[in-house]
Order: sequence, then C-alpha cells, then structure tokens
Amino acid sequence: MRKLWQSMNKKSSLLSGPYLIWSIGFIIIPLFIVLFEAFTGENGQFTLQYVADITWFVNLKSLGLSLVFSLISTAVCLLLAYPLAMILAEFGKGRSSITVLVFILPMWMNSLLRTIAWQNLLERHGVINGFLSALHLPSLYIINKPPAIVLGMVYDFLPFMVLPIYNAISRIDRDVINAARDLGANGIKTLFSVIWPMSLPGVISGITMVFVPSLTTFVISDILGGGKILLIGNIIEQMFTQDSDWHAGSGLSIVLMIFIVISMIIEEKYDAAPSTGTKKERRKK
Amino acid sequence: MKKHRGIKMFYLIVMLIFLYAPILTLMVLSFNASKSRSRWGGFTLDWYISLVEDGGIISAFKTTLILAFLSALIATVLGTAACIGMQTMRRKFRRLILAITNIPMLNADIVTGVSLMLLFIAARMTMGFRTVLLAHITFNIPYVILSVMPRFRQLNRNTYEAALDLGASPLYAFFRITLPDLMPAILSGFLMSFTMSLDDFIITHFTKGAGFDTLSTKIYSEVKKGIKPEIYALSTLMFVAVLLLLWLVNYHPWTRRKNDNGRKKFRSVPGIAAVLVTIICATGLLSGCGSSAAADYNDPNSLFIYNAGEYIDPDLLDEFEDETGINVVYDEFETLEIMYPKVESGAARYDLICPSDYMIEKMRKNDLLKPINIDNIPNLKNIGESYWETARSFDPDNTYAVPYCWGTVGILYNKTMVDEPVDSWSILWDEKYKDQILMQDSVRDAMMVALKLLGYSANTTDEKELREATELLEKQKPLVQAYVVDQVRDKMIGNEAALGVIYSGEAIFTKRENPDLDYVVPKEGSNIWLDCWVMPKNATHVENAEKFLDFLSRPDIAYRNFDYITYSTPNTAARELIPDEDIKNSNIAFPDLTKMSGLETYSFLGEAEDRHLNSLWREVKAY
Repeated sequence: MRKLWQSMNKKSSLLSGPYLIWSIGFIIIPLFIVLFEAFTGENGQFTLQYVADITWFVNLKSLGLSLVFSLISTAVCLLLAYPLAMILAEFGKGRSSITVLVFILPMWMNSLLRTIAWQNLLERHGVINGFLSALHLPSLYIINKPPAIVLGMVYDFLPFMVLPIYNAISRIDRDVINAARDLGANGIKTLFSVIWPMSLPGVISGITMVFVPSLTTFVISDILGGGKILLIGNIIEQMFTQDSDWHAGSGLSIVLMIFIVISMIIEEKYDAAPSTGTKKERRKK
Repeated sequence: MKKHRGIKMFYLIVMLIFLYAPILTLMVLSFNASKSRSRWGGFTLDWYISLVEDGGIISAFKTTLILAFLSALIATVLGTAACIGMQTMRRKFRRLILAITNIPMLNADIVTGVSLMLLFIAARMTMGFRTVLLAHITFNIPYVILSVMPRFRQLNRNTYEAALDLGASPLYAFFRITLPDLMPAILSGFLMSFTMSLDDFIITHFTKGAGFDTLSTKIYSEVKKGIKPEIYALSTLMFVAVLLLLWLVNYHPWTRRKNDNGRKKFRSVPGIAAVLVTIICATGLLSGCGSSAAADYNDPNSLFIYNAGEYIDPDLLDEFEDETGINVVYDEFETLEIMYPKVESGAARYDLICPSDYMIEKMRKNDLLKPINIDNIPNLKNIGESYWETARSFDPDNTYAVPYCWGTVGILYNKTMVDEPVDSWSILWDEKYKDQILMQDSVRDAMMVALKLLGYSANTTDEKELREATELLEKQKPLVQAYVVDQVRDKMIGNEAALGVIYSGEAIFTKRENPDLDYVVPKEGSNIWLDCWVMPKNATHVENAEKFLDFLSRPDIAYRNFDYITYSTPNTAARELIPDEDIKNSNIAFPDLTKMSGLETYSFLGEAEDRHLNSLWREVKAY
C-alpha cells in the first residue's frame, strides 16, 4: 500500500505539514506552558511548591472526594450498564441499531441541559418532591449533597459505559457461548468464564470513559452541589478564573494528569482489540 | 437464553425511564405556565415565544452552529490532508504523530481548556470567536484522523492502478478514484467533529471572551441566574431536532438505501450532512438581519459593556442603539472576582464596566482605569452630591467612577417560615433553619456576615479575626442549603428557603413577586455598597461610552431602569419620578443612613490578602 502511495507522489507527505505544525502549536506547546507554569514561581525560578500544594488540606480533600465520587459513579455505571448491554446484545439481533440508538439518544442532548434537568427534578420543591407529596410520601432531599452529584455523573456518563460493553459483547461468537452450554456450564458459569473475560476490553474502556470525565468535572458539582461541594475540577477552575493564579492552577492540573495517565496505562494494557477504537470516538456513534 | 424475558424487558423499561424521565420533565415544564416546578399552572407557549424573542439565546445558537460548522470543516480539511500525507511516512514517525493526536482525546477537557487559555494569553491574543474556533479545530482534528485513517487500509488499490494504467495522472486518479472511496469516512469525521463542537462546554468556557457565547456557555450563565423556563423550551426544541434528524437519516427514502448493516451507516452520512448544511445556510441567511455572531472590538461604531447579571433594563439597550446607531455588545459576569482577572489580563476588552467600590479601588490602584471626562456628560448633574462623596472613599477626586446603583446587604426572609423577629445575623446560625438558609457565594459578602456577627470590621486583615470568621462559616455550613449568587432571588420567591443573604435592590422585586418576603439589615451592621461605571484603560470607544452614560443618567431613563432592576438609584431626579410614594420613601430602597449604624463600604485589601481570603473561602466550601 505504502509503495503505491509513494509511486503516486513522493511529495504527498508534505500534506501532513499543516497538521504537524498545528499539533505542535496547539497541543504540544500549550502542555509545555502548563508544565512551565506549574514548576516556576512568581519570579520565574524553579519550584516544586505548586505541585506540592496538592497536600494542602483543602486540595487533598477535594481530590479525595473527586476520586471517591468518580470511583462510585464508575462502579454504579458498570453495574447498570453491563446487564443492559447484555440484554441489548441479546434482544438486538436484527433490529439492534434502533434499540441501541434509543439508549444512546440522550447523549445528543446538550450535557449541561441534562444536568440541569436533574436539578429541576431534585429541588426541595422540584418535580420528584411534587409527586411524592401528592402521594403523601416523605420528601426526598438529596440536592446539594453527595448523592446528587454521583447521580448526575452516572446519568451523564452512563452511555459511555453501555456502548463499548455492548460492542464487545455483541462481537462474541454465539457458537462460543453455545459450546460452553453444551459442555455443561450453567448460565452463571457461562457469564463469568466466557462472556465476562471476552467483554473485558469493552469494560475497561468503558471504565476510563466514565472515570476520567467524572474525576475532572466541575460542572456537575457546580449545578447539583449548590456550591457546597468542591471537587478538584472546581478548585482548578477557580484558581484560573477567579484567583488568576496560573502557577497554582497548573500545578494542580499536573497532579490531575498523573491520575489520567495512570488510567490510560491501565486501559492500554487491556485494550488489545484494535477495533474498539479510542475513547471519545465511540461516544457519538 | 430465552428465559427471564419478562425480567429483561422490565430492566430495559426501568433504564429507559431513568434515561428519559429528566428530558421529558424538561419538555413538560416548557409548557407550564407557572415558573414553579412542582405545580402545573396551565398550558402555555409563552416560553417558546420569549425564547425566540430573547436575542441572546438565538444569537448564541447561531454562533454555536457557525462555530461547529467552521471548526468541523477546517478540521476535516487539515485532518484528511494529514492522513494522506502520513501514508508515505516512515512507520515510526507516523506512530509519533498518531500518539500526539490522541492527547486531546484522552486528556481531561479542563486541562486542554486551561492549556489553550494559557497559550492564547501568552500569545497576547484577544479571547473571542477566533480563539474558540482555534480551540475547537484542535480538539476536532483527532476525530477526523481517527475516522479517515482506518479507511486507507480498506482502499482497493486495483482500481487506482487500473486508472493509472489507462493513462490517468496520479492526481486525476486520486480525485476520481481514491477520494470518492474515502468520502464516507471523511464525512463521518466531519459529523463527529460537528457534534463534539456543538456539545463542548468546558474548553469553550476557558477560551471565550467578551460578547461571545455559545449555547453551552449561555445556558451555564443563565442557569446561575435562576429559573429560566426558556431553557426548558430550548431543550425541547433541541431534542425534537435531534429526533427529526435521526428519523431523516434512518427512515427517509432519500437517505435510506441498502440495509446491509455496516454500509448503511456510511451511506446515510451524506444525508445528515446535507441536512446540516441546509440548516447552516438557513441560519446564515437569518443572521444577516440579526446582530453579528462574533463581535468585533475594532468596529468604531460599537460599545462593549460588562455588567453584573440582570443589572439593566434590556429595553434601554435597544433604545440606546436606536437613538444613536451605536452597536452595543453587552456581557454579564457572575461575581466581581470572576470579572477582574479577565479585564486585568486583557483577555477580554470592554469600554464600560460596572464594579463595586472595593473593586474600583483595586482597579484604580493597579492602573487599569481611564479617567472619565465628566464635562462631556451633562446629565451627571442628576446624580446626588452625597453619592459623589461616597464615591470619593475609593476614587478620591471622582476621576474614574460614575455612580450607578447603591444599596445594603441584608437578610431576606419568609414571614411564614420564620416565626421570630429577624434582626440579627445570628439567625443564620440557628439549627432550626437547617437547609433553609441561602448564603451568598461571594468571598467578601460571606466573610462580612461572619465578621459583623463577631463584632469585627468587614475590612479586617487581622489573621486571628479572619480565622474566627472562617471557623464560624464552617460551623454554619451544615445548616446552609446552598451557596448561590443571583439564584437567591428565585429560590426565595419559590419558597425554596426561609432565609437568604441578598442585596437590598432585590428586596423590592422579590417582595413584589412573593408578599410573604421581607428584608432587614441586621443590627450588627452590614455592608453599604456603591456600584459605579468605570472605563478600562484600554477602552477605545470613549465617545460612545460617554453617550451611554449620559443616556443612562437622563431622569426618565434612570427611573425606568430603577423600575426594572429595583436597585436604589443615586439619580435624585429619577427618584422624584417614582409615582409610588411607598417606594419613593421606602426604607429598603432609600434608607435613612443616619439612623443605621455599623454600615461599611468594602475597601481593597491588596492582592495577597485577596488570594488569602479566596483560599479561606475555599476552605469553607470544600466539603
């Protein structure tokens, strides 16, 4: 193939030039600016102070909270999405694209609007409490509390978990499952020793696709947290937009990137199947 | 496997309800005549009408479409060219480029946004349409590359070689044979970019500037102000549009061809693209008569204004435009603390800003202001002398600041929910009102409440006193329902809370809407504030700004503005025009300051102290 292209035009590799310059200018250099800001002080001297700021009580607390919330919401997403993906893969034969489409359709709604919808549902005098009081049931009061934020994360990111798992499961050859049943495995045994291991690449990429955005969000905590809960994303956002303390904000961004890189490495290890593609590519399919 | 069908169906239905209930709720609420979310006030289409009339949302929508289209188009061209070029590259080099391409997709949006913002500031670029477009192209290219690259592997080389054998030049063969083969992948890359750009909030949030809003950033700032049923109407329209688009793509005869699974998707892509392009063209034509999507600061016939939320009668802006022919670009900030860095860094340029006392002092001391020539603004004679005097506390010679509104900070309470008389800040620490208290989410105001209760000055820099105040606020936190700014108003009107810290100007309006509410300035004292118009140093539309200030200070205009925003006006001639004697002599709007004690204006405490206060406030807010 490559030979063919070479025969066509040796100079065609120049076509990558504009993008190459673009990616250096808008991807590489900006990241180096963040690195530079994170490791230099007010007068340009080298310092580790800003990265070490993460050990401040407030920052550490927010990072811890972000980790806890994103782990919980990832786990909840997995628990909800796996059965859903299995059912979709099973029911879906033939009319699969429409059934799956119905479940990922909410993704096309603006993500802010979806979060705001939950605010309307959960408010003290919101829709859910309106229903509950009409039925003379005790009211539900979780808005501005951690459960509301976890709920927002699960709702916003659930489709990112469903899709890759669904893709992985529907790619499993039915004959493999039938063979397992013929060899005497019961339903649970088949699930755990055949389907689960084979769907693992999908599960892992689903996990990173939910984990990273929930770890770094500041929008969900802002809208559903009533300003009472600061996640690490909120702290970074405020450092940049309110304090205009770019050194401190960059320092914390670097710390945050460490966690992202770790989850990437884990994904890379498992995500052997090339056809599962990369993170956000699958989001909008 | 056919077992448990019932259970499986049940699970599917439960998940469907979970996914769609919020969206359906928004749709139902969009037809609700009542602003309340738990009561049905009858069917109405009013919100749709006011959505269409709301120029801000419509122009944000146009901007979003234009931005998505342009960024997707440029990204598609660059990305496709890059893919073609990469075919002849050495494998190692190609893998390196692909690795770089992955960075924006895998990285957190907040880091990408922040890094681009730093780049634009370092390059001294003015934040606006241009910077957002560059940012969107940057995160869009990877989607194009990842969509087009794999397609190269599936190309049929025989047809290409056959074309060469038949005498076609390589370039001709490429355009006639290879490109049509790549087209489905290129189009799906384009569409993916388009949708990513439409949906982005975080990266736009960091790279946008004055007078620029996409739908996402517009929604975000509207929601911070309070309940806006127009947003529900917008959600409904967007959802219906998506449904329609998908129906077109999947079922319409001219997009539906072969139903062979894998191919079908690609075949349908040109259909979607066609629909989208039509939409863009239609909006492009429409926007010809509306305001331009991207405001250009260099236009000499314009005026850039930066003001707090809901702080002017929007009709007056239109009237001013009609009267003078000047194009007003009007932008809103949530708090002064958010406004300041934007102006200081020069990332956003304005001609007039309306900050409060302490912020004006800070801007003046940091040499960010331009003197205003009072002689060019005859109507300023209507501003009462006592207000000029107050202004001298932060602007000693009245050089920079023109008084606009003033007031106090106090407690708004619901008489049906609070049984005892409210006269002290201490009620905000009463366990009885757990989850019924709304606090201001602004450093100075929150700190002031605690400091005044402790009997200290609101301008203290004494570490021990600040510590005490911080601890007091931390103690209060479990009782607080939410830390909000403009939302206090709607929440109090909607009986969401019993007590809220609010500015006196909101009291008249909220009492009008909900007669159960009352406002009090606690006996321990409070903040008295004066907001003034100032001109930033780099403002260029000086003459237009003077015209605007003159317009605003005309008694009839100032009165109408007061009637709309209900914040006390320093314009004595305008006050005389108030027909309602109760309001004209209201103790809330125009209190007798000689009878109140402990009222203080905030003063600027210095940069380091500001940051210190911010970090104390974060300490309170971190859960």
